[in-house]
Amino acid sequence: MTGQAQNPKRFSISSVVDVVQARRSGLELALKMGFHPAEANKVAVVISELGRNIELYAGQGSITVTPHTEVKGQYIEIIAEDQGPGIPDVARVLKGGYTTSSGMGLGISGSQRLMDEFEIHSVVGQGTRIRAVKRMQ
Amino acid sequence: MENLDITETSTIQKLENLLLVAVPRDLTDRDVLKLRRQVLEETRRYHSQWVLLDFSRVDICDSFFGRFIQSTARMAGLMGANVAVAGLQDAVIETMVELGMTLPNIHAVLDLDDALALSREGETDDGLLAMESPGHAITDSLSLDSPFDDSTFIPPTEV
Repeated sequence: MTGQAQNPKRFSISSVVDVVQARRSGLELALKMGFHPAEANKVAVVISELGRNIELYAGQGSITVTPHTEVKGQYIEIIAEDQGPGIPDVARVLKGGYTTSSGMGLGISGSQRLMDEFEIHSVVGQGTRIRAVKRMQ
Repeated sequence: MENLDITETSTIQKLENLLLVAVPRDLTDRDVLKLRRQVLEETRRYHSQWVLLDFSRVDICDSFFGRFIQSTARMAGLMGANVAVAGLQDAVIETMVELGMTLPNIHAVLDLDDALALSREGETDDGLLAMESPGHAITDSLSLDSPFDDSTFIPPTEV
């Protein structure tokens, strides 16, 4: 995908507090871009879900939120990266049902449903990179 | 690590047989644990038969929040109380549904008035008696203008 990136915001994630601050910034950014509140809400929730996964499984990582403008319209790109244990079975995680002590097993699979594009690149023992895109309707 | 600058705090109030919990918009894991314990303590203290989680200030509800609602409902249920959720914003609801979040056995009401009406009905959806409060018997024409024990209640305006 090509598009003009504008001022990416990078959030270091190592605690739930970081996640809360990142999702709040993501919500404000989406609203400022002109996203409908319901769509902006989805951006915030996906940042929250991916951030929680980083904090829970990898301990630390980052989330970068970038607004893009292209001829077809505007979109927000979310990239979550960590050098954690990786996901052994990505297909199963995408299918949903993975439950943890703190979530509902919806983190990844639910996030995928909320976004227009969703890609996972994960290598066991090296880390995970997730890219998600939400387009302005 | 949980030193988030949260200016909003949760407030818990007793209202008839209902415990009204105003949930802050951003909760950390530690906040959630603390709030859940407070809710259970107050439920026991006041013998509340309904717990109303007011989400009107919450504008981001992820699956962790969903689990908070579920777990609070299960725990309150073991104390004999029902849990209702009120004030969910449109945007939050849309995301919750698309995320795939389900909240079984939890009542959803629009606002405090509906929660009070529900708590006065006396029966839950599964037919179990939920309250036996004298003076608040089930009536066909429920009057919301009747006096209440709790002075914090603001009677709704008539429509």
